[in-house]
Amino acid sequence: METLFFAIVSLVAIISAILVITCKNPINSALSLIMTFFCLATYYVMLDAPFMAAVQVMVYAGAIMVLIVFTIMLLNIRVNATQKHSHRILLGSIIGFFTLINTIVLLVKSQAAKPVGPFTGDMIRNIGHSELIGREMFTTFLLPFEITSILLLVAIVGSVILAKKNI
Amino acid sequence: MDMISIPVVNMTPILPEIFLSVLAMVLLLLNVFSPSGKKSYLAYISFIGIAATAVLVGAGWGGHIESFSGAVILDNFATFFKMIFLLAAGLTVLISDQYMEREECNHGELYPLILFTVVGMMLMASGTDLMTIFLGLEVMSVSLYVLAGFNRNNKKSNEAGLKYFLLGAFSTGFLLYGMALTYGATGTTRVYKIASVVGQMTLPSANIMLLAGMLLMMTGFAFKIAAAPFHMWTPDVYEGAPTPMTAFMSAGPKAAGFAALLRILLVALPTLQIEWSQLLWVLAVLTMTVGNITALRQDNIKRMLAYSSIAHAGYALVGLVAGNGTGTAGILFYMLSYAFMNIGAFAIIILVSKKGETNGNVMDFAGLGFKRPLLAVAMTIFLFSLAGMPPTAGFIGKFYLFSGAVQKGYIWLAVIGVLNSAASVYYYLRVMVYMYMKEPTEEFEWTQVTAPVALALIISVAGSMIPGIVPSFILEFAQQAVKLI
Amino acid sequence: MHVLTEYPILTILIFLPLAGCLLLLPVWNCRVSARPIALGVALLELALSVWLYVSRQDLPGVQTKLPGYLLSQDAPWIPSFGIRYTLGLDGISLLMVMLTAFTFCMALLVSWNSIKEKTGLFLTLMLTMEAGIMGVFLALDLALFYLFWEVMLIPMFFMIGIWGHGRKIYSTIKFFLFTMFGSLLMLLAIIFLHLLHAQQTGLATFGLHDLLKTQLPADTQLWLFAAFFLAFAIKFPLFPLHTWLPDAHTDAPTAGSVVLAGLLLKTGSYGLIRFGYPLFPQAAQALTPLFYTLALISIIYASLVAFAQEDMKRLIAYSSIGHMGYVAIGIAAWQPVALSGSILQMASHGVTTGALFCLVGMLDERAHTREIAAFGGLWGNIPKYSFFFLLFSLASLGLPGLNNFVGEFLVLTGTMKKSPLVAALAFVGIVLTLIYTVRLVQEVLFQKERQPLPLADLSLREICILAAFAAVAVWMGIHPAPLLDLVHAPVQLLTGGGL
Repeated sequence: METLFFAIVSLVAIISAILVITCKNPINSALSLIMTFFCLATYYVMLDAPFMAAVQVMVYAGAIMVLIVFTIMLLNIRVNATQKHSHRILLGSIIGFFTLINTIVLLVKSQAAKPVGPFTGDMIRNIGHSELIGREMFTTFLLPFEITSILLLVAIVGSVILAKKNI
Repeated sequence: MDMISIPVVNMTPILPEIFLSVLAMVLLLLNVFSPSGKKSYLAYISFIGIAATAVLVGAGWGGHIESFSGAVILDNFATFFKMIFLLAAGLTVLISDQYMEREECNHGELYPLILFTVVGMMLMASGTDLMTIFLGLEVMSVSLYVLAGFNRNNKKSNEAGLKYFLLGAFSTGFLLYGMALTYGATGTTRVYKIASVVGQMTLPSANIMLLAGMLLMMTGFAFKIAAAPFHMWTPDVYEGAPTPMTAFMSAGPKAAGFAALLRILLVALPTLQIEWSQLLWVLAVLTMTVGNITALRQDNIKRMLAYSSIAHAGYALVGLVAGNGTGTAGILFYMLSYAFMNIGAFAIIILVSKKGETNGNVMDFAGLGFKRPLLAVAMTIFLFSLAGMPPTAGFIGKFYLFSGAVQKGYIWLAVIGVLNSAASVYYYLRVMVYMYMKEPTEEFEWTQVTAPVALALIISVAGSMIPGIVPSFILEFAQQAVKLI
Repeated sequence: MHVLTEYPILTILIFLPLAGCLLLLPVWNCRVSARPIALGVALLELALSVWLYVSRQDLPGVQTKLPGYLLSQDAPWIPSFGIRYTLGLDGISLLMVMLTAFTFCMALLVSWNSIKEKTGLFLTLMLTMEAGIMGVFLALDLALFYLFWEVMLIPMFFMIGIWGHGRKIYSTIKFFLFTMFGSLLMLLAIIFLHLLHAQQTGLATFGLHDLLKTQLPADTQLWLFAAFFLAFAIKFPLFPLHTWLPDAHTDAPTAGSVVLAGLLLKTGSYGLIRFGYPLFPQAAQALTPLFYTLALISIIYASLVAFAQEDMKRLIAYSSIGHMGYVAIGIAAWQPVALSGSILQMASHGVTTGALFCLVGMLDERAHTREIAAFGGLWGNIPKYSFFFLLFSLASLGLPGLNNFVGEFLVLTGTMKKSPLVAALAFVGIVLTLIYTVRLVQEVLFQKERQPLPLADLSLREICILAAFAAVAVWMGIHPAPLLDLVHAPVQLLTGGGL
């Protein structure tokens, strides 16, 4: 049952991912991307990570994609009417195809068939995903968490410098 | 709800990072309140701050303190690399003021961004957790994306920033995927714990997930150090970015990438050494060859130095392939001397070029030998050091790296390295030929050599010559720094 | 204790020219005062080396550590690598040191008037090169030797490129890259040898006399020797690695050619004698047929090509290749008489070819051409010049009584004992040398002049230069015994059982 569900969601995810890069209208691309993110959120739920699913929808699909759609609308982005087919596409497709084959072989031969580690599904259901994330974030990963704040500062300063009209 | 135990936090390992971050934030505030156009004093403050941080970092030599439950460490390895980053940043700050004024993009945010880049790099060097290394890399990269595109008026700079951002973000994806796979295979992101888990595995090289993780992480880092075939971004980004930023990018992030790569490969995955050294062998040969051969055809000197920096990353990879004490100490020494000679060379390019990045060709160096003799002598020293001629630091670095390779039995790799070295001499000689043996075609405009730039040149020349004649001092430090492995 | 042993005379020999460079700094742009300072330093260097020679009997020698050596010096330099600052002087090095000091004095004198611009830089480059070449001849630590080997290239590169003529940039880049290529492979061989020694004995060192004790399996030895041989063969130059030489010699300024021909070529043969053969004796023996072949081809090929040259300098350049071929044969024979002849030939070739390049340079200064066709009938026109020209041409073709004869004779005699066939073929080379030298002399000196050129005869400075060369040449030709005694002991040690 779960496998069937996974297959359907994966199909939707792959199709919407392909639509992202092949759609001519940027709004269609953005909406397909939102669809992909929803599929990813479904994966998170299937992996016993409900908090991540919620955050994925809220932050990615909610905040970031909305921002992108707003930008597209404000800048009135039109798409190029003429698309030349270059030889690069052929080369890229071949490389991508081989990468795909490799990845599939990798996955098939991979040893990690069962979940390992202390964070089992039962534990997450009992204690609560948010609490577990919070625990790890403020104990094991305290330093990376703090560094993120600097990263945000740099990003803000950088985007202002690069994009503001008069500085 | 049971109590959460807050980990023991010893601030000492990240004291330099904290200091620099606070300084950067203070500079940001100062910048807001200072009139536009008068931003030079920020350069002086940041230089003093960098010098103070260097003292702070140097005081930590010989220590071994883990903190944040193993996320970050203060050891000789980290200290050595932090000094390299601070050196690169200090020299960059010295040479950037004049250039930014000339190009009319002297926004005060330049200096805080440079400082944040250094913070990111220092975290990469002292991080012992995959997450710390990753976030350090991100902080460094985002700052560099902005710095590459800093000159908003210049189309090439915009292109450089955009290209760097796109390709850098793409490579970060690889890196993170690799880290995730490694976490999946070992159950931990702490570098030392990964080592013990992998050490206890029955057949680590058969663990596909671990191998894939290692491969992807190496790919991500290969982008950062501009190893072929992941080097495509380097020439365009180096050419388009403002020259002081190119100087910084060629020295600092490369060293940071090597620091993180060394930490991960030699501390976390030493059991897989056979696998990754085979891969790195191919990478090293490709990188050296592609870098040198393409540099031979370049006319734009920034592009030429970009390709040469690719080649130099290749030489450093030879040391990593060796993986023994000599090879890794050689990488440390090489990164230090490379910072000196490369930033020095870029400083001279700044002085020779004119506003709007005209005079970026090798041809424009014509006649420099006799019109500006001191600059030409400095450039000659840098070029000979890059080519690896004795008695410069570049020679000792290459000597050490190739010794390490020969010691481990990689004779053919050393032969290829040496042949590449010989080939590279040609394009360095070309610049010297133009400087001394050709007449200038147009009138020389006198670019004033300001005191900071002069100081930067003096430091670079000293750093290129002195470790070539008496290298023992730095070599001892480098050897002690890699004893952790 | 002799006064010479109280001071680090060997270090002084190397660093005195560098100190001279510092002295030149205040008078950089003033040509009039810079030249005497540089010449003074060079003459001081010459005096030092002659003093060393004269007092060689009184030097205590360093019997215990370095048998056969007259003087040595040792100090730690880079302990992390095991590189030491080791210098040593034996008979062979002393001869080379004297040759170096003498050649540089002459080179500075010959460029007195011809270098008109950027003189300060020129003199600095000359002095730096002197220091580098001294270092090559004195170094006993392989890494130190390599350093000086590379360092002496840099000033020559600039010299040819800035003050040369013709296709100077092409020639100088070719010279530099060619030599670097060979030396880098030698560097790898040095590193490998060092690591092998460290593996076997636990002692990480680059010193020659420690490395001599390394056990080298046959095939390793062959590769290592091949790398060394390649580097030195490029410098000799041996066919087919000689292609850099005609261009470099022809396009260099006169002083550059004098130093190139007189000294730089000798560094190759010296390296082979000092390092190549002692470190890898079996491999050297195995490669002897190849060495003989290349040397013979060099002699014959170079002589034939020299005959066809129209440019005087190019002709003398090719003759250099031929003469160095004799040196090569002597070394390949590795027999006391032949080796002594080789070493003596190195010195005499330096003197003779140096003088010939000076002569061509003087003619070039006057007529602004080096074409043989432009000259003729100089014998009647400028008698003093023609006298010296004839003298050194005769020396070059090996006339008994002049210096080249001694060297060639000893080489051929010694080789005859080892390999009569090679000696016989080498005789052919002598005949060919005769042919092109006679052609040169006949067309330049005696032939009816095609266009009369107003040429001034020799000035006092030029007479001094040529007379000095001539005195040395004649003395070496008539009385070579002291020099042969000088190199006797080292040669015995090298060939008769090794150090």
